[in-house]
Amino acid sequence: MPEIILKNVTKRFGKFAAVENLNLVIENNAFITVLGPSGCGKTTTLRMVAGLETPTDGTISIDGTVVFDADKGINLAPNKRDVGFLFQNYALWPHMTVYQNIAFGLENLKWDKKRIRARVDELLALLKIEEFEGRYPSELSGGQQQRVAIARTLAPGPKVLFMDEPLSNLDAKLRMEMRTELKRLHRDTDSTFVYVTHDQLEAMTLSTRVCIMEKGILQQYAPPLEMYNNPANRFVADFMGNPTMNFIDGSLGADGTLRFGSLKARFQPESGAMPAAGDVTVGIRPEYIDIEEDGPLEAEIYSTLPSGMETTVKMHTGGMPLTAVVFGDVDYAVDSKVRFAIHKLAILFDKKTGMNLGRGSLEEPANA
Amino acid sequence: MNISRMKGKVRAWFSKPANVILLVFLILLTVLTLYPLITMLLETVTVHLGREARLAKLPVGSKTLFHFARLFATSENKYSWITFYQPLLNTLAVSVSASAIAILFGGTVAFLVTRTNLKYKKFVSAVFTFPYIMPSWTLALFWETFFKNVMIGPKTSNGIMASVFGIYMPEWFVYGGFPIALVLGLHYAPFAYILIGGILRNMDANLEEAATILKTSRMRIIRKITLPIVRPAMLSTFLLVFASSMSAYSVPVFLGSPVRYYVLSTTMKSLMDSYKGQAYIVVAVMILFGVGILLLNQAVTNSRKQFTTVTGKSGQISKINLGKANRPIALLLVLILLLVAVVPLITFALESVIIKAGDYSLSNMTLDFWIGKDTTQWLDQGDSTGILLNPKVWSALGNSLGLAVTCSVVAGTCGILVGYGVSKRRGSKLASWVNNLSFFPYLMPSLAFGAIYLAMASGIPWLGGFLLMALAGSIKYLPFASRSGVNAMLQLSAEIEEAALITGVPWWKRMIRVIFPIQKSSFLSGYLLPMVSCMRELSLFVLIVPTSNWLLTTMLMQYSEKGWAQFGNAINLLIIIVVLIVNFTVNKLTGASIDKGVGG
Repeated sequence: MPEIILKNVTKRFGKFAAVENLNLVIENNAFITVLGPSGCGKTTTLRMVAGLETPTDGTISIDGTVVFDADKGINLAPNKRDVGFLFQNYALWPHMTVYQNIAFGLENLKWDKKRIRARVDELLALLKIEEFEGRYPSELSGGQQQRVAIARTLAPGPKVLFMDEPLSNLDAKLRMEMRTELKRLHRDTDSTFVYVTHDQLEAMTLSTRVCIMEKGILQQYAPPLEMYNNPANRFVADFMGNPTMNFIDGSLGADGTLRFGSLKARFQPESGAMPAAGDVTVGIRPEYIDIEEDGPLEAEIYSTLPSGMETTVKMHTGGMPLTAVVFGDVDYAVDSKVRFAIHKLAILFDKKTGMNLGRGSLEEPANA
Repeated sequence: MNISRMKGKVRAWFSKPANVILLVFLILLTVLTLYPLITMLLETVTVHLGREARLAKLPVGSKTLFHFARLFATSENKYSWITFYQPLLNTLAVSVSASAIAILFGGTVAFLVTRTNLKYKKFVSAVFTFPYIMPSWTLALFWETFFKNVMIGPKTSNGIMASVFGIYMPEWFVYGGFPIALVLGLHYAPFAYILIGGILRNMDANLEEAATILKTSRMRIIRKITLPIVRPAMLSTFLLVFASSMSAYSVPVFLGSPVRYYVLSTTMKSLMDSYKGQAYIVVAVMILFGVGILLLNQAVTNSRKQFTTVTGKSGQISKINLGKANRPIALLLVLILLLVAVVPLITFALESVIIKAGDYSLSNMTLDFWIGKDTTQWLDQGDSTGILLNPKVWSALGNSLGLAVTCSVVAGTCGILVGYGVSKRRGSKLASWVNNLSFFPYLMPSLAFGAIYLAMASGIPWLGGFLLMALAGSIKYLPFASRSGVNAMLQLSAEIEEAALITGVPWWKRMIRVIFPIQKSSFLSGYLLPMVSCMRELSLFVLIVPTSNWLLTTMLMQYSEKGWAQFGNAINLLIIIVVLIVNFTVNKLTGASIDKGVGG
């Protein structure tokens, strides 16, 4: 059963449209990530669904209940939507202890003392923060504050949990740790998570589906791997993956001859249907470029960036820059010549609109 | 747009407490500030009873521009020059000099305290706000009693300087523009200290360190980086001090009137008796200047030149080493502060116990004016007992305290609500209207504000006495409370409240359980400042007080007018002590301080 449905949701601040005509269906028990660069409207979207912001137009329903409808004048208060919200800066109340922070919402729901005690204890144990019960937020580290914030949000057992970049204030190691736990928590609590981030890696690793936005407009809504392998447009392709995809401008002939940068090849579409001839941008993932002695193409090493597990190799072929990723720790002398091959599928984008025209292999590649 | 859609929008708008608060205050403040203003403007074209009607040769109540012509363009006996232009020039000279003195003195001390390794910092920062806590006439009265002599001014008697040290100061030093500007500047220097010091203290050390790394000299850093960053605070200080100095009444009365040095506020008071129309024109001119400066200040601070100086990271600021100059500078500062903050109190104590003016020998002293059962042996008339045995003094003290508490509760609470509404809807027209309206009473001279409220209340039978004074006081001090309310709310991230909102905590509970406790000290400062100001207020209440011995301050004025200097000084000291006790008790108990009301 679909859980959250957004229909034509629009939010304008004066003339500026923060979110435009957003349609989205978030399934029950999903872990959705709303991804995009800062200022793309992702936080606004989250706040509208939670009821902290009033949309200019559209309808939103949660679990079959219409919580907002601009035409019918329906606008449910946030507390009537049965949602939890985890803020980027935690927003812990500095004058309350950890226990009081978690219990405050429950007191409000008029739970009796015993039940509150039991529920808080349960959460303290779940998030492994039992020993901090009597402390004030200022006496906790960032990671501990984060856990308290999560416990506070989970306490009333919301069906839907919204998270606004909750890990961005943590250091890299702690972030990794919390990611693992959030994913675990998603399973344990059996609720729907909607997560906002600008970190594509976080979106890739955590979610069941990613909703990627730019300038208030939904670009693609798909499972993360599908988005990675078959991005809807150039923006999505560029945003997903690190190091980013190689984009090379070129042209496609009617017979499938592809000239791009200093290279040429014959484009063999995966679907069998050849895209129309014209100006295109060829997208090649760095890890699809293999450096091998008998490779058909030649390039010059510009610089190598080893990171232990993998090495990013920046090279130039015919003056055109290319990025490749090689597994393991390899080092190439600067300015030395290497040969390489493009084994996996490349994606053609329309040069003007940036739309995905189709995936395909690059046959008989050669330096032009 | 269909009807249900409209309804939904309206309901959504009204479901936000911030909107409701702003709307209520918009209406309330319009009625309580704009209405009096319009009433007053009407008075400027109305013919009033008495000499005015005879002079204008028009029936009472008729509308005329006669007052304008009379005040602005009467060359006969240089009337306009004497009653308007000269006082106007005096006012501008005094206000600009006072602002300059306040910024220079307060700013320098703020810099020394926050940016150097100055000695006795604790003492300096503790005592520096004293002059502001004390009534503004304190310093003026001290100046006069200390320096006056029989050669100058009203030539009554010798002050301490003349009688004890035998030094006779020249007239320009004791009376007129120079001492008025100096006294006002010193009185308001704490504004500069608090505003500029706040920025200097919170300024990210990296800004200066970045320049140090680039091999910039200390002086150049101060000139090119520190000063530009504090410039908005300096402008705010200028606005506050200029507006306050312009409407100051008691200081020019003590230091100007004896030598016929008049400013707009004193002219206004004397015109008020028989030429109300012209008096209100003077008020309008004063308000016009205030609004002009407010707009100027806004134009400057709203532009790109406003900086966010408070960033997340702020390291230990490297302090300038004053080296050998440290001790002399520190001692000089301590000396000035003692002179400004402590010596006046000693002087008042002295003056309240001497029997014959100008004689400071022990045989000429008595405690009778404080605790004596019968003082008629020293004064020809007067109340027969010392002030501490006088039930009228005690009842006036009770009234003053009651009024101060009432005004502070009303103004402080309104200030928090205004702060909440304005910060939540920041950037909207409604919020900036309410914000400006709540600051407007600051620009109205107290004396005129009282007069206008009296005029406004004359048609409303139930509005008078305590209720009228409480209303006037609450509105007049709202600017302090709303400023500290807005500042406190702006420091609080919206998420703190939203985290409670989402779990269904009702609005009043969010205010009481979440928002208030977090910003407790700032909010309480919004209560403290109106209370302190109200305790020592004279000009606002002087026209609306039921009888002149109803409040301590008006009683003081009455005693001064009757020439009972000892009683006057004793009551003055009593007021200062009460104000200081209230201030420090609240400060120690709650952490609230007047700095937070002015600062930000």
